[in-house]
Amino acid sequence: MKHSEIEDKIVAYIEGDLDPKEEKAMTALIASSSEYQKLLEETRAMLDVFGKVKDEVPSGRVRENFLQVLEEEKSLQRFTIGKKETKEFPWKTAFQIAASILILISGYALGSYQKGNENDAQIAVLQQEASALKQDMMLAMLDNRSASKRIQAVNYTEEIVRPDTEVLEAIIDRMHFDANVNVRLAAVEALSKYSDSEQVKAAFIKSLTNEKNPNIQIAVIQFLVAVQEKRALAPMQELLEHTETPGFVKDQVNEGIITLM
Amino acid sequence: MQSVANGNLDAMTILFDRYHEWIYNFFFKMKPDVAFCEDLTQNVFYKALRYRSSYGGGKFASWIFTIARNLFHDQIEKEKHRSNIPVEHLAVVDDNGREDLSDEVRRLHVVLNNLKEADKELIVMSRFQGMKYQQIAEVIDSNETAVKTRVHRILKKMKTMYFENQIS
Repeated sequence: MKHSEIEDKIVAYIEGDLDPKEEKAMTALIASSSEYQKLLEETRAMLDVFGKVKDEVPSGRVRENFLQVLEEEKSLQRFTIGKKETKEFPWKTAFQIAASILILISGYALGSYQKGNENDAQIAVLQQEASALKQDMMLAMLDNRSASKRIQAVNYTEEIVRPDTEVLEAIIDRMHFDANVNVRLAAVEALSKYSDSEQVKAAFIKSLTNEKNPNIQIAVIQFLVAVQEKRALAPMQELLEHTETPGFVKDQVNEGIITLM
Repeated sequence: MQSVANGNLDAMTILFDRYHEWIYNFFFKMKPDVAFCEDLTQNVFYKALRYRSSYGGGKFASWIFTIARNLFHDQIEKEKHRSNIPVEHLAVVDDNGREDLSDEVRRLHVVLNNLKEADKELIVMSRFQGMKYQQIAEVIDSNETAVKTRVHRILKKMKTMYFENQIS
């Protein structure tokens, strides 16, 4: 071990802070050299002086002042606590306000929902009543002496979403037997919308044999061709054979037969 | 201290009684000026009270000692600015007038006063404050081995100075 190394380690040696191997080596070295013994003694002597330095005691003033500061701090703490309570975000109140707003909104929502339901129900009833009224009115009007009133009545069916058999029957009746051509034509147009009704289709087929007016014949043929009604083929054939049938109707019939076949 | 941090300020009295002399003596070893040290000691506990919420658990002694040390350095720095006297000289107070000191203690003080501020502080912490190397390392933000090596080296230097002094 070098001299400076020994000097560095002497304090650790005195403090017993060296590992056993090093300590043993140091002990041997020191025992072998008076120089190191002196080093050890001197270092130890100086370290001992540290222990002789007496601790100082501060005057009572320090404690008194401290206690005073503590009291001030305590009163300040009370103040800050009091302040904190008012300054701190008022969660409780906030929740109360939030809750009342929520109740208000849900109340409004519930109210408008119920009202909406009520309104819807009322409207539905009214609509039902209105359509029933219209239907009755239409049925009554179909028997009106005025042709224009009857046309108006036929056109009312457009406003009836799902006309019942009674209504359809009444309009079919108009299509077959009304004296006025325009009424019959209006009935054809009105009935054309109910292409999926068997009742209507049968009525059209029947009309094909009975109808003498070419305008209506053409409208009926167009309808039957559009719905691909094969049962119309026979009466259409008859129309062709009929001498009274005008040429342009026959042309329409021919076209229709080709399409249907 | 945790209970002080939580608002039980009376517990601070216990801590004051336990630690104020220890803190005072640190100041006094660094700068033997009664009024200065008493003021600083008071200040340390005042700061500890004020900033109690910054106490994050751990060893109270280390925490309060860090406050003390910072305060001391701030104060010395201020005085240096005020008087333009080098820091080393500020900490030197002639204690020849004190008759209660033995020769060897007086000599030790001379040696201490001739150390660099940081070295002196290390010795004060290690030899007078009874702080373990680990604790010193915490306070000065270093590691135990480095602190130990430094202290041993300073002591070696001191020993030389101490005995040279005796001769002269």
